[in-house]
Amino acid sequence: MSNCATIVLSLLLFFCVRLFFVIFSSRRVRLAPENPRPPRTCSIAIFLGSGGHTSEALKLASALDFGRYSPRTYIVSEGDAFSAQKALALEHIKATYHVFSDDQPQYKLLTIPRARRVHQSLLSTPPDAVRSLLACMYLVSVRPLFKKGAFREPFVDLLILNGPGTCVILCAAILLNRIIGLPSPRVMYVESFARVKSLSLSGKLLYQFTDRFVVQWPDLVKPGGREIYCGCLV
Amino acid sequence: MLVFATVGSTRFDALVEATISETVLSTLRDSGYDRLILQRGNSVIESEEFNEENCTIQRYGVGIEIWRFKPSIQAECEQADLVISHAGSGTILDVLRLGKPLIVVPNPTLLDNHQEELASALQILGHLKATSIQDLASTIASFEPRNLVPFPPFDGTKFSKLVDEEMGFI
Repeated sequence: MSNCATIVLSLLLFFCVRLFFVIFSSRRVRLAPENPRPPRTCSIAIFLGSGGHTSEALKLASALDFGRYSPRTYIVSEGDAFSAQKALALEHIKATYHVFSDDQPQYKLLTIPRARRVHQSLLSTPPDAVRSLLACMYLVSVRPLFKKGAFREPFVDLLILNGPGTCVILCAAILLNRIIGLPSPRVMYVESFARVKSLSLSGKLLYQFTDRFVVQWPDLVKPGGREIYCGCLV
Repeated sequence: MLVFATVGSTRFDALVEATISETVLSTLRDSGYDRLILQRGNSVIESEEFNEENCTIQRYGVGIEIWRFKPSIQAECEQADLVISHAGSGTILDVLRLGKPLIVVPNPTLLDNHQEELASALQILGHLKATSIQDLASTIASFEPRNLVPFPPFDGTKFSKLVDEEMGFI
């Protein structure tokens, strides 16, 4: 019995220590790699939350150099046809301006189950959240392990989040990855332009667990905080 | 002159009702607006006749066109001389970027009402006029579009620089 307790306690201790290091290291500014070779690309994933979140996320994505940030993965929630359509529309517009170097598909759409639907009763939320978490873990932890020729590479280099709900689950899966020591993407959270004086719930939950936390209104900048403000980004 | 009133994908009965009320319509007419296009989304109007998919009427000297949704409201915004809108951030950004004079009415029935915060923050910066259902008519009467501060155009370089820094490109 005491053996059992010791094992549980040491596991718990291990998790706490790892969690501490993971949070601590995500607070550090990572230095730029020296001499990046010129034609280097960076794979990127953008979570498209729905409605206004999707519009903002795609506005952010449209600012990026698609030649450099490639391939792109758009993560949409189950049944969100609007977001999928808008992502395709952006790719279409960008393709008319850009001549991409090869014929490889430069982007893909991935669907994950929703953590919680609007108006869903709180009782039925936990099973859906678990289902969503499992799907996210498969996406960020399991699948990259079996990717050919990409051993110990994260599922993408950079993940951009801007809420709501399901993006917290996605971030939780990445946190688990970091605790176990599996490769993980850099995570950047951009709070919505609609939040002027207080963070959204997703923002509050993810504040400590992202590598970059970006806000779009000066009142959200706390003295000594880790948020970055450089005006309206959308 | 044309006024475009919109509630986006939301339901905002009070704003829709106010827009076609006698006080607001006569104020619009007196300020030189003779046409109103009203996008009512999921809002319901008390008088049955207006709840059709599309409806066109003449009321208090203003020609009114009411409909629920269109795939894009870009054309209506571009034609309009004044836009009256709910305080959704997406609609606000779209209208301000088109350089159209904008009056917003935050929906007071929303629980976590950060619409109000966004509207007043943008009003302080001089980009738009924020008002309430009760004060809509008087706001229209005293509205001076020339005094508005133009909203800066979309600048993608700020975000791309942030990401380039993050990933070590610069």
